[in-house]
Amino acid sequence: MGTYVTSKHSPLFPILLALILVISLFPIYWIITTSFKTPVENILPVPTLYPHRFTLENYQKIFSSGSLRYLWNSIFVTAVSTLISLVVAFLAAYALVRHRFPWNINVVFLVWIILVKMLPPVVLAVPLYDMFAKMKLINNLWGLVLVFQVYTLPYCIWMLYGFVKALPLEFEEAAQIDGASRIQIVRTVVLPLVRTGITATAIFCIIVAWDEFLFSMLFIRSPDLLTLPLAIVNYIGEFETLWGQLMGIGMLATIPIIIFARIVYRQMTSAYSIELK
Amino acid sequence: MNQARRSRGEALFFWLILTPALALLIWLTLYPMITVFLTSFQNYSYITGRRSWAGIANYINILKDGLFQDSFRNTLVYCLSATAIEVVLGTVLALVFYGDFRGKSTFTILLIMPMMLSTMVVSSVWKTLYHYDIGLLNTILASIGLPRVGWLTDSKMALWSIVIVDIWQWTPFAFIVMQAGLASIPQQIFEAAIVDGASYYQRLFRVTLPILRDQILLLCLLRTIDTFKVFSKVFALTRGGPGNATETTSFFIYREAFQYFKLGRSSAASVITLLVVAVMSFFYLRKMLNSKEA
Repeated sequence: MGTYVTSKHSPLFPILLALILVISLFPIYWIITTSFKTPVENILPVPTLYPHRFTLENYQKIFSSGSLRYLWNSIFVTAVSTLISLVVAFLAAYALVRHRFPWNINVVFLVWIILVKMLPPVVLAVPLYDMFAKMKLINNLWGLVLVFQVYTLPYCIWMLYGFVKALPLEFEEAAQIDGASRIQIVRTVVLPLVRTGITATAIFCIIVAWDEFLFSMLFIRSPDLLTLPLAIVNYIGEFETLWGQLMGIGMLATIPIIIFARIVYRQMTSAYSIELK
Repeated sequence: MNQARRSRGEALFFWLILTPALALLIWLTLYPMITVFLTSFQNYSYITGRRSWAGIANYINILKDGLFQDSFRNTLVYCLSATAIEVVLGTVLALVFYGDFRGKSTFTILLIMPMMLSTMVVSSVWKTLYHYDIGLLNTILASIGLPRVGWLTDSKMALWSIVIVDIWQWTPFAFIVMQAGLASIPQQIFEAAIVDGASYYQRLFRVTLPILRDQILLLCLLRTIDTFKVFSKVFALTRGGPGNATETTSFFIYREAFQYFKLGRSSAASVITLLVVAVMSFFYLRKMLNSKEA
């Protein structure tokens, strides 16, 4: 089966496979090895392919210079903004699927969400900065949590809308006939059915928030409020050659996210499969 | 009677649960967008906070500005070349790796690692690989007798170096999308084509690719939209340099607003960007709404 395109028995096949894996994984390997090399080894005129003197020095320096603080800031901002987005987006998605609002609000709302998703966020930066400055939300992690909603909320509404839309109506109708109120229906019927959808949405939302850079850079001033992307940029700018530490922080920023790879793969595969008419 | 009251209660309930999202989006996106639109017709000094109407002066100013034109051209070059290469590579890979083989899901999961990484992590590792003197790429070039390349310092090369990073990171996404599309085509279609005596290329160009046309279009749109926004990679790798060689529209807007405090100009550039995005997105919107509304 499945041999209409290539012969997988060709000796070239495993070679191609290996080549692609090497290209795609080498930079990640490089992050790992660089973080275990000594500062001297990292600036040798000819880079070494693996640590000739394995060291944990970079990690010690990172931790003693307070980088756990950045990790914590990132985790806090990501977790809270994801949580808020999920709750708000789930309610909105359910309303949009199950109720026909007047003035075509359903369609207008979805169109608006897509537009926001496509917009380069820098377009909104000036007015948002003004608004947040007036509310004393600049240089404040809660301010970041709020402004992240610009990215995460449209994302979550869009994904959850799809999941809620796919639910069969029968269960809800049956519960309604049994006299359950809407709130009961949402809690006991809809939520359990859409749980895997919520998990998938949460993971994509976490990835988006974890990666956020622009607003974090504009809104955060104090060194103790930096998130990981900001800390990394500072390292790139100021300590051009402290690659070991830079990659160490890169590892901190990577490990909490990379564990979701399997779920992301499954979700994407099902989201982008097509139905043939 | 009871029914009517119930449905009015229902409507109220739905309005209630829509309100938080509605309020947040109006506050965080609609209101700022209106502000940007108004500011684009004003002279607005950030320091004194004074605004005065300027008509379309900002727009004329921006459209005549060589730097804006450069940044727009750079963005288009970046956006179109990265998208085209990713879509072609992703499609080819999906065709080559069609069907089952041992370890396929492990292979794919490993393959998508690059797109899981934070943009800043990706940028920092590529920055070390691209380093002129001690970067691995130049070391390899030098060891086979080729001249070193100023990956991020040569103004002819810098934009392409960022394109390469994007291709490295996002081709796996194109691969997954195309693979998901390919896998949903029933085998019988190919078998029928084989029975009819179609050659490999005939099957590819007359059967497979036409069926996947919409999928390819969707993928192109997704990548165009994403690459059009490019900001963090430019910020981390080149800061728009050398010269203005990697200045993109996002970066231009950022600089006008937050380094030169020319908010009128930055807003005008934002509105122009907005219009471009709206035009680009027209097809995408129609497609997405059809699939969700159906």
